[in-house]
Amino acid sequence: MEEPTNKTIKLINLPETIAFHWHSKVRVSLYPEKFLCLMECNTDVLVEVCNWLFSELGYRFASLVVEDQPQKWLLRYIFYGAEGEGQVHILCQLSKAEKIIPSISNLVHAADWQEREAEDLFGLVFEGHPRLGDFILHEEWPEGINPMRTEFDSLKPYIHREIDPEWKPARIVQTPGAFMMPIGPIYSDFAESAHFLLETVGEDVIRTIPRLFYKYRGIEKIAEKKSVEHVILLAERFSGTSAFAHSLAFCQAVEDIAGVEVPERAKSLRILMAELERFRHHIKAIAGICASTAMVVPTSQLSILEEELLRLSCALTGHRYLFGLNIPGGLSIDFDNDKLKNLATTINEVLKKLNELKEMLCFSSSFLDRLEEVGTISRERAVSYGLVGPVARASGMIRDLRKVLPYSGYEKIDFIVPCEQEGDGYARLRVLFSEAEQSAQIINQVAFSLPSGPVVSPVFSIVHGSSLGWVEAPCGAAFHWVKLDEGDRIDRYRITTPSFTNWHGFHLAAEDFAFQDFPIIMATFCLSNAECDR
Amino acid sequence: MNKWVLKGLKTGIKTTLYPDKEERSLGISPGLPRGKQTTGDKTQVVSRCPTQALKYTGEMISVDYTRCIHCFRCLRGINNPVDWDKGYEWALSINEIDDLSRKFGKAFGHSLHIRFVDGGACGACISEIEQINKPYYNIHRLGFFITPTPREADVLLVAGPVTDHMRLPIKKVYDAMPEPKRVIAIGTCAISGGIFGPSFASEAGISNLIPADVVVPGCPPPPLSIIHGLLLLVSRKPSASLTSPRSTEGRKTL
Amino acid sequence: MINPSNFLIIFLILCSLGVVLSLFLPDRRNPLFLAWISSIASISILLSSGNVLLYGLPFQIELWTLPFLGTLILKMDCLSALFVFITGLVFLPVSIFSAGYMKKYLGRYNLRTFSVFYHLLFASIVILLIANDIFSFLLAWEIMSILSYLLVNYEHEKDENTSSGYLMLAMSEAGTIMAAFAFLLLANGSGSLDFASLKSASARLGDSNRWAIFLLSFLGFSVKAGLVPNNIWLPKAHPAAPSNVSALLSGVILNLGIYGILRVNADILPVTQVGLGLLTLFVGTVSALFGILYATIRKDMKEMLAHSSIENMGIITAGIGAGFVFMASGYFVLAGIAFIAALYHMTNHSIYKALLFLGAGAVDSSVGDRNMDHLGGLMKVMPWTGLFFLIGSLSIAALPPFNGFVSEWLTLQTMLQSAALPSKAVKIVFVLCGAALALTAALAVTCFVKAFAMSFLGIARTKQAEKAVELRRSMIIPMGMLAVSCLLFGILPTYVIPVLDHTISPLIHESIVDELVPPFFTVVKGDPKFSDSFISEFHDLGAQTGRDILPGRGLVVLHRGTERNPVVFAMSTSYTVIMLALLLCGTFILIRVLTKSRTVTKGPVWDGGVRRLLPEMTYTATGFSNPIRVIFDAIFRPTTLDERKETIAEHFRTAINNERSEVHIVDRSVFQPIVKWIQSMATLFGRMHSGSVNVYATYVLISLVIVFIIQMLL
Repeated sequence: MEEPTNKTIKLINLPETIAFHWHSKVRVSLYPEKFLCLMECNTDVLVEVCNWLFSELGYRFASLVVEDQPQKWLLRYIFYGAEGEGQVHILCQLSKAEKIIPSISNLVHAADWQEREAEDLFGLVFEGHPRLGDFILHEEWPEGINPMRTEFDSLKPYIHREIDPEWKPARIVQTPGAFMMPIGPIYSDFAESAHFLLETVGEDVIRTIPRLFYKYRGIEKIAEKKSVEHVILLAERFSGTSAFAHSLAFCQAVEDIAGVEVPERAKSLRILMAELERFRHHIKAIAGICASTAMVVPTSQLSILEEELLRLSCALTGHRYLFGLNIPGGLSIDFDNDKLKNLATTINEVLKKLNELKEMLCFSSSFLDRLEEVGTISRERAVSYGLVGPVARASGMIRDLRKVLPYSGYEKIDFIVPCEQEGDGYARLRVLFSEAEQSAQIINQVAFSLPSGPVVSPVFSIVHGSSLGWVEAPCGAAFHWVKLDEGDRIDRYRITTPSFTNWHGFHLAAEDFAFQDFPIIMATFCLSNAECDR
Repeated sequence: MNKWVLKGLKTGIKTTLYPDKEERSLGISPGLPRGKQTTGDKTQVVSRCPTQALKYTGEMISVDYTRCIHCFRCLRGINNPVDWDKGYEWALSINEIDDLSRKFGKAFGHSLHIRFVDGGACGACISEIEQINKPYYNIHRLGFFITPTPREADVLLVAGPVTDHMRLPIKKVYDAMPEPKRVIAIGTCAISGGIFGPSFASEAGISNLIPADVVVPGCPPPPLSIIHGLLLLVSRKPSASLTSPRSTEGRKTL
Repeated sequence: MINPSNFLIIFLILCSLGVVLSLFLPDRRNPLFLAWISSIASISILLSSGNVLLYGLPFQIELWTLPFLGTLILKMDCLSALFVFITGLVFLPVSIFSAGYMKKYLGRYNLRTFSVFYHLLFASIVILLIANDIFSFLLAWEIMSILSYLLVNYEHEKDENTSSGYLMLAMSEAGTIMAAFAFLLLANGSGSLDFASLKSASARLGDSNRWAIFLLSFLGFSVKAGLVPNNIWLPKAHPAAPSNVSALLSGVILNLGIYGILRVNADILPVTQVGLGLLTLFVGTVSALFGILYATIRKDMKEMLAHSSIENMGIITAGIGAGFVFMASGYFVLAGIAFIAALYHMTNHSIYKALLFLGAGAVDSSVGDRNMDHLGGLMKVMPWTGLFFLIGSLSIAALPPFNGFVSEWLTLQTMLQSAALPSKAVKIVFVLCGAALALTAALAVTCFVKAFAMSFLGIARTKQAEKAVELRRSMIIPMGMLAVSCLLFGILPTYVIPVLDHTISPLIHESIVDELVPPFFTVVKGDPKFSDSFISEFHDLGAQTGRDILPGRGLVVLHRGTERNPVVFAMSTSYTVIMLALLLCGTFILIRVLTKSRTVTKGPVWDGGVRRLLPEMTYTATGFSNPIRVIFDAIFRPTTLDERKETIAEHFRTAINNERSEVHIVDRSVFQPIVKWIQSMATLFGRMHSGSVNVYATYVLISLVIVFIIQMLL
């Protein structure tokens, strides 16, 4: 057992606290080297335990992993805490015949969409959840067939169901004279496919219901029974703009299962590449915000910076979006140290131009008018919905995985996580600028102090086991749960993406604002539907 | 106001000169494998490819562009890597270029309206397509414009393996476009499903749903390839079609 | 050739025949019989009044002489003739419409009584308009009020109809009493009760008398005309009445209020103080503004049309007010223009409002629902009704080439003419009122775009709207007649204005035809009024081309300013319609020729790829008018009826409801305080009724004592 550092001190004390509260109803085991505390309980105390973890101890809900095992259902509720608190997994078992499990969404609201997804894809019934059905699988999907069940053949196309001619989308606003304004799924110039119904009585949007999963490709299902080599491609490419981050999370999970130590040089290079991706992603997000407010010149200027970074990435690594770099054990290619120093210098130049634009934008009152006090999310709401990433940090809620559950050598890097309190569009913009600056600073730190050595660990064999890999993707916290079976194939692959978590909270920002603010609020959230829909 | 004008003037012109001159900057394209004649070991190279894009017959390793996803596994860490082509003019037309029935008229050569549809694409293809409207590539100078309504569109760009839920909207978009209309499939996913399809949730590309005229392989295809595809569609660039047999060079094959 | 008095007598005989025979005919046949008899009666009265209008020869019939009350005289002069003509013009299509419309009441209500009331109402209106002494006027007025109440309350089994009817009757009686007082004051100075002697005696009346008479008559008749603050009965009465009665109410009965105002204050006792004219102008503008504001936010079609009637009456009154001001300041020509504008607007309003009400009645009988949030897509199933409703909406929105444009243009022009007045304060009032009237014109467009688009365009919002069917021909033809009249009155103003001139020249003692419809497009050399050089200039300019085929006096309405302000304002709806027709036809032909080889494919509307475009996803009338509601929130002050936000576990919101309703501003600011004050007074006095006999005995004692004291003092 490791020496308890201040990073794990609170985690170490957790089993005592749990035993004190729950006595024998909950079985606890502790894995400090993985920052992990495992609790097993039955369904009757599940809701109280989860609520206690959330409201009393301040852990945040991350993911719900459902495994369809031959004899039983295994549900794993993953929570993560602040610095030093590690992560807590709550395991719950159901026999195969049972399908009903109490819902925790009424108390831990962040679990809402995860439970709906599990219901749609597995057929479990979450008792007490007021709104099940019609989530991932839309109306044409036949009843009673759940794609994530083991008996479902992922290659077989299914027969569409006849849709009831009386079918109407659900309506919340019942004021006489209210109507719904449909947007999408195909709209605007380059928008990703998603459908919105803005309910209104003519002026403000009273309620907006985003309807996603038009881009559902069933990644978790098609990954099953495939080799690690194949699945890393899936992990990389289901969301191209955060490819490196997701492939990093997957590799870390596999490395953890195999017990492999990644060389220091690989860790540092991974940090450098991840921050490069974050830098580029934030510039693109800021360009998107300027485009939504129709400020053409800053949009163009930022797009120029984005393209420069893309070309830089391609010249350095061979691919504009950093595909094909991460492999379990390290990276697939090494880089020349001088090239990396040049990269850092170029990044500094880009940062200088970015800061100039920031100065100009912050003095542009017509721009600020559209962003200030628009799309506000209060801190309480952000906490109860479990928001992550720049969106949460703009509402005063910091829980950056690079600090909270440090990975890949981030504990040695000196950087700050920016935070704002207002929670409006302008706060999110400021967070994006600050984070971009921090990324550039990290790149500088790493590029000039790169350890030498191999970039990939020696060949190892994949063993069976399961583990969680996590990463602070550009949009927020991402969790990849990987389970490998005896044949070294993927048995269960569960991805929880930051866009999924944040889309859940999108309606909080878009309600009670005018129609014209809707695209701007969406731009300030910088969400990716591909990442959410998987 | 004038601060923005000055800023724009100070930054200067960044636009590429393609198609008048070939673009040679660094980092504009990930490149594609190029087939080669080799006597060395071919089985390892061919088996590394996750999407079966490489084949060998006799001494010849040939590459199917429409299946390549730039994973670089045929290039890195093996004994007999393929050659690498750092170009970007990859677009192919489905039919012969002389097929008059599918040829766009002269009027569209310098005035084309484009509607983009996301059929389940990962963000990379969409990001590359967005770049064609931005200063570095700027399709306006070529006479191409993005329109948000299919009623005014001449060509439909589709990216992504068409997911099941997007079948109906894409069909509707295609039906809403007035004749003459063409379809360009962007990215390997839209041509052959990439690494996602075919599966229960996605098709293997758009050809099962609507007829594609030009395909632009790549994962994602760089903006210059997309522009090349558009130019090919309006016959401003010579095309190589999928149906013409050119497998002797090992470049393109059916 | 036509003897107008003969036709009047024919008309009266027909009406009595209608009353008598409808009692004998069975219910089933009554609507058709009503249609025939009243159509013929309308035609005869149209001929009679048309003759008087065109030739300008009034006629007079003397009836019986009553003791103490003088002779009852019926006189049709040009002013009455205009109103009678409009009455006939509206009654004719409404009668034909009733043949089909009343069938829906078969079996539920007594159609015989409807027929009786209808004919009696027609007769009483005409008699009221041609009455030339106070007694017959007031008698006919009372009969008309009661009959209109009976017709409005025809569906008396519904409670809300009964209360609306009572309100209408009560306010009508209050107005009648005030008008009667005005007449009494007028009769005070003169010997007999007929209007001619009242007129000659009025010249001797003092200032305070003039003020009193004006205010009493104005307030009294404004109840019938539906002006602020006496308009609160109108939005309730219209939805209560059957649609053909609503058409009569708006098209004919509201005009009677204007008739009363004009008769007393322009004919018998012409206004000589500018302040009274400004008051009229102000009341008219305020009515117009409030009327259209409330019309824009209403969902019930007939309530909206009722508020719109208030708006139009306001515009007419504003025109009359401007006329009064000009008359009092001595600018008779400008006064004439103002009166012509007001009377033209009144004519137009009757025509298009009747058309719109018949359209609303058509929708109501076909769909069964008047709430515009429940309609939609009716154009496809009711094309003719939709077309005529569209023409009505275009007319009321004052768009060329229809009639609303001409009268609105003339009204706004008269506001501009105030530049000639000497007093700055008066000019400022004119400018403000002119701006307010322009605002109402814009709001009217909004309101009727909403009315037409939400009801007829788009997709049906409810099952009932889907199942609507087109009406039978007997109900479409009257709407068509009115629509054609809208167009004709719009493109031939040069014929209408000379006729209106006959009406107002007795009032202002000047003929202003030459001002508005100058003859220099058609005059020849040698005409005494214009010099030869002037005529040849016009000829050289080409303005006299086509002189032989130009009808009337050319097709342009224009007027020149004064020497100080020599600007020329010109408008020609006739040329507009000719140009429009040429452009549209020309474009149509051109496009057909150019695109002969193209194929046209039709597809469903592009909806962004949604699975199904539902009616809930289309704009509602409430949504369309919400911006107006928000902007004018200070006037509307909506109160929340029901606000619910249901949530489960504080996170899952399942229902949001926010129902609001508005109390009319006149109710809020005028009537509710008065009612509250009366109630508090009544409560105060109610304390006197303590119930104890001893207290009452004390009251008797005290009053006896007071009477003794007074007696002793005197």
